[in-house]
Amino acid sequence: MRNIFKTTSIFCALVLLLCVSPKAQLLKKIKDKANQAVDKAFDKKVNETTQPNGDNSNGGNGKVSNKGGAGLKNSSPPDVMAQIADAEKAHNAGNFNDARYSVQQALMGVEIQLGREILKSLPSTVNGMDKDTAANIVMSNNWGWNNLTIQTVYNQKPEKQMTITIGNNSMYSGLANIYFGNTAYVQANDKDQNVKQTKVKGYKAVIQYSDNKGYTLLVSLGQTALIVWECVNFKDEDDVMKTASEFDIDGIKKMMGEQ
Amino acid sequence: MKSFILSILVLTAATCVAQTQDFAKGIATAKSSYSAGKLEDAHFALLQALQEIDIRIGQEILKLLPAQLDTMKANIKEDQVTGNAGFVGSTILRTYGVSRSCDLSIIGNSPLIGTLNSLINTPIIGGMMSDANNKIIKVQGYKGRLTKTPHEDGKASYSIDIPMNNSLVTLKMENGTDTQIMNMANALPLAQIAKLIQ
Repeated sequence: MRNIFKTTSIFCALVLLLCVSPKAQLLKKIKDKANQAVDKAFDKKVNETTQPNGDNSNGGNGKVSNKGGAGLKNSSPPDVMAQIADAEKAHNAGNFNDARYSVQQALMGVEIQLGREILKSLPSTVNGMDKDTAANIVMSNNWGWNNLTIQTVYNQKPEKQMTITIGNNSMYSGLANIYFGNTAYVQANDKDQNVKQTKVKGYKAVIQYSDNKGYTLLVSLGQTALIVWECVNFKDEDDVMKTASEFDIDGIKKMMGEQ
Repeated sequence: MKSFILSILVLTAATCVAQTQDFAKGIATAKSSYSAGKLEDAHFALLQALQEIDIRIGQEILKLLPAQLDTMKANIKEDQVTGNAGFVGSTILRTYGVSRSCDLSIIGNSPLIGTLNSLINTPIIGGMMSDANNKIIKVQGYKGRLTKTPHEDGKASYSIDIPMNNSLVTLKMENGTDTQIMNMANALPLAQIAKLIQ
């Protein structure tokens, strides 16, 4: 009796499974499709609610973000001779304020030209890296060398990059003075020495390393000028030193008017 | 007395002529160096010309200053004007009085300008920094800061700092009152000074 009941139960279960299985699969498919459609509709509704204009142009505070423009037209540096002539005229007329402005403009014009010449004098290839002339920057935002920045970038695929900055950017000047004037700090920790003094072609230099920035090498030129090499993805210290020594540091120093 | 005044006038005229010549010399060198492609030499010559202009501007400002402040007479012989082409620009200094003294300085490109402007223009910072010895004031419409330094003998010295573009005008007085220094500051030709140094 027990056996008969057991056999009947198994038979019924098999029949039920065979009958129901295709239907169940079909039902599952329909259910999945319905879920997808509902999710899509819901997401769309949420997006419409959070972005009333239907695009991503809005910032957090309802401000429209800029999508592009023609930018500024490149203006030519001040005409040095014209500015000198203006300065003379203003000075002779006793208008010292205008004379001062014109001399400042003339100085800016000279600095920009000088910066361009220094950039031109830099080698086109250094230690296997090519100069990226599109990254050239000559910036003179004040007179008297204080904020003159001359910069260019060298690249080697895939990810090796070196940025050279020449000038007397006050930020780096401060950094260099701290290092050059405080040897105890620089040489303090032999175990994890990330900053140390060195020499490049006879010039005093400071080299530092950090995992985020890579190598930074600073060379002090004369009274105020500095050359800074920022080297990303360089193999080691020797690679950095080899790259730096390929530059004509004497020539740069001379062009910067340093003794 | 007449001969003394005459000698001062001659000396002033001679200095002006010398400065004009120095400016002309600097400009001539700048022109010739620039034409010859010697950019660094042109740069240096222009810096020198700029210094000469700064000195002339300083002299013009000194001419505008009153001959007497409160009861103190100007010590014209001690007038100083320097033109520094660097981080700090030209410096103009005039002192007044002998036993009781005050001095006025105008420093171009002063490094203190940034801090002072924050104090003057930011109510929260200005409020925090204001106490019995410091307060924000206005002199002829120009914002500034009045500082009192009490001495042990009960007397006090005062100073007023007024930023003007990149220059800092500072008036200092020993042994006086805040009313006295405010009156003295109000006697200065600030609008004309601002026009020259801007």
